[in-house]
Amino acid sequence: MNGRLRGILRGVVTYVLPPAITFAVVIGLWEAYVTWRDVSILVVPAPSDVWERFADDPGYFWGEGWWTLYEATLGLIAGSAVAIALAVIMAHSRPVERGLLPLAIAMKVTPLVAIGPVLIVIFGFGTTPKIFLAALLCFFPMLVNALIGFRDVDSGALEFMRSLRASPWSIFWKLRAPSSLPYVLSALRITYPLALVGAVIAEWFTGNRGLGFVVYSAAQNLRTPELFSAIAVLALIGVAINIALSLLERRVLFWHESVRSTR
Amino acid sequence: MANETQHVRLRGLSHVFADGRKPLHVLDDVSIDVPHGQFTSIIGPSGCGKSTLLRIVGGLLEPSAGAVRIDGAGPHDAQRRHDIGIVFQEPALLPWRTVAGNVRLPLEIDGARRRGTDAESLLDLVGLSEFRDYYPHQLSGGMSQRVAIARALAVDPTLLLMDEPFGALDEITRTAMRYELLRIWASQAEATARKTVLFVTHSITEAIVMSDRIIVINGRPGRVVADAAVELPRPRTQEIERSAPFLDYADHLRGLLIGAAA
Amino acid sequence: MKNHGLAYVLLAALFAVVAFAACNDDDDAAGTPGPSALSATGANGTATPAPPDEVTFMAGFKPQANLPFVGAYVAQEKGFFAEENLEVDIQHVATPGDNFRLLATGQVQFSTSDATALLEKWTSDPVIEVVSLALIGQTGQQGFAVLADSGIESPADWAGKTAGYKGSDVPPDYLAILEANGLDRSDVEEVRVPFAPQVLTEGQVDIFPVFIANEPDTLSREGFETRVFTAADYGAPTLGLSYVTTPDYAEENPDITARFTRAVLRGIAYAETNREEAIDIVLQYAPQEDREHQRYMLDTELDMAQASASYESLGLGGQTLSQWQALHDFLIEHDGLPREIADLSVVFTEDFTAYDGGE
Repeated sequence: MNGRLRGILRGVVTYVLPPAITFAVVIGLWEAYVTWRDVSILVVPAPSDVWERFADDPGYFWGEGWWTLYEATLGLIAGSAVAIALAVIMAHSRPVERGLLPLAIAMKVTPLVAIGPVLIVIFGFGTTPKIFLAALLCFFPMLVNALIGFRDVDSGALEFMRSLRASPWSIFWKLRAPSSLPYVLSALRITYPLALVGAVIAEWFTGNRGLGFVVYSAAQNLRTPELFSAIAVLALIGVAINIALSLLERRVLFWHESVRSTR
Repeated sequence: MANETQHVRLRGLSHVFADGRKPLHVLDDVSIDVPHGQFTSIIGPSGCGKSTLLRIVGGLLEPSAGAVRIDGAGPHDAQRRHDIGIVFQEPALLPWRTVAGNVRLPLEIDGARRRGTDAESLLDLVGLSEFRDYYPHQLSGGMSQRVAIARALAVDPTLLLMDEPFGALDEITRTAMRYELLRIWASQAEATARKTVLFVTHSITEAIVMSDRIIVINGRPGRVVADAAVELPRPRTQEIERSAPFLDYADHLRGLLIGAAA
Repeated sequence: MKNHGLAYVLLAALFAVVAFAACNDDDDAAGTPGPSALSATGANGTATPAPPDEVTFMAGFKPQANLPFVGAYVAQEKGFFAEENLEVDIQHVATPGDNFRLLATGQVQFSTSDATALLEKWTSDPVIEVVSLALIGQTGQQGFAVLADSGIESPADWAGKTAGYKGSDVPPDYLAILEANGLDRSDVEEVRVPFAPQVLTEGQVDIFPVFIANEPDTLSREGFETRVFTAADYGAPTLGLSYVTTPDYAEENPDITARFTRAVLRGIAYAETNREEAIDIVLQYAPQEDREHQRYMLDTELDMAQASASYESLGLGGQTLSQWQALHDFLIEHDGLPREIADLSVVFTEDFTAYDGGE
């Protein structure tokens, strides 16, 4: 067997096999429990019931999942853009930081289920409230991470740039911004799933697209296999995003110790 | 051909760090004149203010008292005119840029373009041409410092400030780097345009090997306790380290440092 | 290698704990009583009286003055349950729809249900069998509200406006109103709305779905007068809330079922003649609610309970096959049910509504 093939095989065994086995064991136990204890499908469906429902119309779930992903992504972009812009300002001005940070924290602890309907009253029924809620959830973690990232620059490099009389703008672009990348990317790992949650919650309240709606509708009508299918698809989307971000990190942050030392 | 006017003039420099509970007085009444093209080492035990002195000259710190003139101008103006190049103990390279990218950095900062040496010839000078596309995490300590030196030379400064640049390297690399630096310094243009170097170190050997002049700073707060010329022929070679005059200098300096230690 | 061993031991221990817990899980969920050995019928017994039968009643919404809820609250507080030798645990759903699940698994014996929801359960997958013991709401609860100053005088004016709906799709009531007024679905913009009436007052929608006994009053107290349209206005045979249980339970526990039904119907009758006291009782269960609003709800629902021929002939809670058939056919016509129910006599029973106002 040639080296490359061996490498791929090793990769599969190391990264794919453990989670796959764990997953299989969990599913097996679940199915066994439901069957053995004769649990009503109204309470918890067996994995076989869930799969049956899913296989009946996978396109439906993927389609709605795509919609939720779309809303979440737009929300992520919007929330991150505002957070980063604000962090730039706050990194250069302590008074602004002191003024805005408490507000940001207050926003973070607001219960979202309460403000969902309010957002609909303000933004209407389309995708806007969903994008907004997703953005809202992304905002705070990205703000904090970006701010720390902009501040946590190598002091030697900073001194060097000061010795060249570099303007704050130059220092930002050439030093602070690249320095913050590890923090921003790690924030994305957290905020992307949050954006998904935000979109799903908003879909719960209005509209008729997206996995949030599917979950709502299935729950209302006690269609548990459909409910679990939707949740499974949502989870898969989350995992896929995480993998994609991991790969992105590896490419973009090749120079950072955190990525290099994961051998 | 030697210039009569001094390149760097320090007058009554004092500095007190006042942010802690007890003010820390690190420098007291330091006055030094450095002519163009001279390689001057500043030597002293840890904590005597040598680094502080260098930072003040480089415009990174405002002195509590006293004045600094570089070709008649204050340090900030000298910075703006790109007359100063600095090398620290930690190379502080930007890890997301290649070696060539790092050397080019000073040239990208406001208006430095009007004067400067291109990255290629600088890398050539420090012997790292092959590594132009490498990233800092792929370099050894000595190589990183060479990049830092090339970077400091990028704006073609007239004054080079070096703060224990070889302090973080191992003994063998350190010895080699001394002579490397001398080679680089010597090959930079003709003797008249030779750069002025202020070199902070706490190694007696290093100071003697490299410099035309050694200034000893000692005590708390640091004061100039000695200021002597090093009359050894150039180019300096490893044999010089075993010569009698060298050993005399070494003894003399050791005595100054140990004797006056607080 | 040592580390691996420890990991396996811990994993095995975890499985053991889970298995142990699962095996020891008591089959009897709380509140599933068997038929009591000696169920007293209320007559004096010379022997020691039998212990009361314990049942759980779950209201299908949060605590408020919906008439079936009021019946249960009053029966509890005035001792009607006790007189029927019943010990009733009154619960309220955490999430709407939970009560059906709990009925199906036997954790709850009696509950309430809207008539349409009841028929939906007979046609869902899987089927959830629920039978109506007494039809309290003789006409449907749903209405569609517009602001009084909106200029919308009748549903014919809905053309070009925005209508909200709750639930996963527009309800048959809505479709019936459109049809009766010569409108097509494409004439009105439909959006799913949350429970917040602000979407009406702020103008996000022109037509807002309401419970007739509820939001119009709330909005009125906030200064917003509304006009409400219902499908019944246009002849739709809508029905409201029932007391429900599962057919199996009613068959296996006819005596308890009868006693329960009797007690709650008595509770409603009492509430009708003692309204303020009834509201006092409701507020014990719903302390945060507004008294006047609860009074409005009670009054409105009492009117709705008496608004039909069945009430005239059969009394409170009376129901006929033709009522259920009419609702069923109406829903089928407007795509409210996925399939037909062949024999509607299974969805309701008149066996237990023996209460005639006396006793």
